Amino acid sequence: MSETHQDSGGNGDFDLTQFYQIFFEEAGENLDLMEQMLLNLNLETADDEALNGIFRCAHSVKGGAATFGFADVAELTHQMESLLDKLRRHELQPNAEMVDVLLESADASRSLLARHQAGGEGEATPTADLVRRISALAGGQSSAPVLAVQAPVVVAPVAVARPAVTPVAQTKRPRSLEICIGPLERTEQADAVQELFRDIPGLGEITVLPTDAASTRLFAVQTESSDEDLLDLFAFHVSREYIKITERVINGDAAVVEGSVASNAAVSSVAPSDDAQPGAPLAPLPGYGFFDGAPGAPALAAESALSEVKVQKAPPRTPSAGASAQPEAATIRVAISKVDQLINLVGELVITQAMLAQNSRALDPAVYQQLLSGLADLDRNTRDLQESVMSIRMIPMSIVFSRFPRMLRDLASKLGKKVDFVTQGEATELDKGLVEKITDPLTHLVRNSCDHGVESPAERLAAGKPETGTITLSASHQGGSIVIEVRDDGKGMSRQKILNKARERGLDVSDQMSDGEVWQLIFAPGFSTAEVVTDVSGRGVGMDVVKRNIAALNGTVEIDSAEGYGMKVSVRLPLTLAIMDGMSVGVGGEVYILPLSSVVESFQVKGDAVSTVGQGSQLVKVRDEYMPVIELEKIFQVPRFDFEKSCDIMVVVEADGSRVALLVDELLGQQQVVVKNLESNYRKVPNVSGATILGDGKVALILDTGALVRRSRH
Amino acid sequence: MGMMEKLEEVASSEAREYLTFRLDQEEYGIDILKVQEIRGYEPPTRVANAPDFIKGVVNLRGTIVPIVDMRLKFNCSKVEYNAFTVVIILNLRSRIVGVVVDSVSDVMELPAESIKAAPEIDSVIDSGAVLGLGSLGDRMLILLDIERLMSATDMGLVSGPD
Repeated sequence: MSETHQDSGGNGDFDLTQFYQIFFEEAGENLDLMEQMLLNLNLETADDEALNGIFRCAHSVKGGAATFGFADVAELTHQMESLLDKLRRHELQPNAEMVDVLLESADASRSLLARHQAGGEGEATPTADLVRRISALAGGQSSAPVLAVQAPVVVAPVAVARPAVTPVAQTKRPRSLEICIGPLERTEQADAVQELFRDIPGLGEITVLPTDAASTRLFAVQTESSDEDLLDLFAFHVSREYIKITERVINGDAAVVEGSVASNAAVSSVAPSDDAQPGAPLAPLPGYGFFDGAPGAPALAAESALSEVKVQKAPPRTPSAGASAQPEAATIRVAISKVDQLINLVGELVITQAMLAQNSRALDPAVYQQLLSGLADLDRNTRDLQESVMSIRMIPMSIVFSRFPRMLRDLASKLGKKVDFVTQGEATELDKGLVEKITDPLTHLVRNSCDHGVESPAERLAAGKPETGTITLSASHQGGSIVIEVRDDGKGMSRQKILNKARERGLDVSDQMSDGEVWQLIFAPGFSTAEVVTDVSGRGVGMDVVKRNIAALNGTVEIDSAEGYGMKVSVRLPLTLAIMDGMSVGVGGEVYILPLSSVVESFQVKGDAVSTVGQGSQLVKVRDEYMPVIELEKIFQVPRFDFEKSCDIMVVVEADGSRVALLVDELLGQQQVVVKNLESNYRKVPNVSGATILGDGKVALILDTGALVRRSRH
Repeated sequence: MGMMEKLEEVASSEAREYLTFRLDQEEYGIDILKVQEIRGYEPPTRVANAPDFIKGVVNLRGTIVPIVDMRLKFNCSKVEYNAFTVVIILNLRSRIVGVVVDSVSDVMELPAESIKAAPEIDSVIDSGAVLGLGSLGDRMLILLDIERLMSATDMGLVSGPD
């Protein structure tokens, strides 16, 4: 397995953790959505749309969890997915029990994720039981009989209620707990808890600790069970509200805790600004926080809390402070519409500011000094504000691309394949909203390429190809769109297999369909040509999701494939709200914007440089190359009032590998423009890819150089 | 939609409020709920290959909005742009469109019974887009289904099936 990055200049092993936050947010949203849909699910008449939706949520969470290596979450969601897949295919009828288990599993996934998010500290939520129950349900049984089957294995009858205790215990280290029960009217209830430990083998040991209050009981417990399990057990005798479990620190453990605190305190005392008194707050520490409910404790607790605050003031380089700060440094998610509104408002502000600046130019600086300096401040601040607001939305594609090398590496080694990963055009800037929405589809596409596309090394050698396959991910601006391509040099798709599969599924197909139409079939829900359902892909959910997500962005997906040679999936997204470097040109009284990326050069035309062919088409000779001339004035029917002036500047633009020379009046300048969609309120205009708003508040149209070049060919 | 249904639609909601505006000598009314705001006319950016009644597009606080001159669409004899020329910004389901009119007169409540069905006449206005005729004393108000009028394909505001 080797990896290469082209154009990236980065190194191979980058830090995947920078994407954790995005994953946690996405997964959280997916789980919320799934819960909502599960709750709304009508069991008798569950419609396919809802079942597909729930399935997709589980699938997305699983995919992400597997990518980031959260095996426990991936395993649980994989089971959920298997069950949901059967529901979706109507192999099983959904029932309330399934919904319960799925909801519980969603909760468990959430808490597992929360644990990973906190850096893996604390108890992992047990999932073994859930996994078993789900697979039982997926196997067509009720989950209840499983418990009954389990029961004989466990010796003590009490344990039937908690079959999870045993498996969980295997993974736990022994813990020392202090359990305070009370205040109770009848303390015998608390004593009954003691008996539990006698009755259930393996639960642990319990000893009574002395307390001052007659109505409470205090126990020291050595156990391997989690707090939650203990609480459930105790609930037979005492209601939960009366039980308080705290981690007990005794002997050696206490020394450890004390030691670490002492070192923290030492660090804080080094910091000159910190007025911590080393030593003084340490004295009460051994009893810190453990006797919350006990009389006499408050004073201790208060003091130790004080010392805790001081310890936290220590510089963040202490590991504990660093770890606890991580989840805090989160982002906030804001609705795109709010950011859009902000951008529009700032745009208006800039225009108003420009107007004020214009109107104040005539004022006498001696008289209006204060006003003018205020306006100068306003000018600077508005520009800064505009820049900041714009930067909220724009991020380079490398953010998305850099997710993949690691994922592909793991995937390839899991599948026993050799894959090179190449990225191109990482600097292409894309609107944040688009980036977020394109990540999932791209993940599916890249996974598909690796799983179904690239063959195993042996197959490749047999087919006369190099042992190592290549998956290429590229992004570029093309005309009015951003095109993201996923290419592989694998086995491609078999037209016949797809047609056969489509017939199997009862889709209306014929052998006369064009290749393009055949490839489009794989976007049907539940369609997959993979022979085996793997952990990676092959359930056919991928392409369904891809198509949906991209269509929601007003984008299109095109597939090109040659059996035996590989396949290419092109995702074409509109430029909506992408920022573009533009060159503004004047034609007649009008202003048009050319994408700077397509501008090659500009020059003043000399009379004899233009020649005609067939009395119509004009050609211009630029150095040793002839290229067609396009008069923007004619294409856009620009009205001309000033006949004296004529177009004599040519701008050479390149698109799709060809060049044309555009004839314009004047070059006005270069600027960054925000691409606005013309189609949201109006319609598509030929040769125009969008519109933008100029500094004076006027609208200018952005030319689609791709269309202009294509036009010159006909 | 048949005439009776149209009347029912108007009648069913009892009295509705209409924004009335003038085009030359004629007075029109549109559902006030479709109106987002009223602005002065500013020269829009011309868009090539558009029908002449589409004046172009303007920037409405960051949104690109097409401007339709109703006077050109309805073949008014005199079309001039001055300080009194008004643009009504309409918010139609998923689109924002500005229409140029001579002047905006009033917002008035019309009870259902004062709305009469329009007779079939030969007019530049698609008869389906006329909801009815409102009578206000001796004035006649032409009530337009502005949503339908603006989304008609001959308005050229919506991309055709090409």
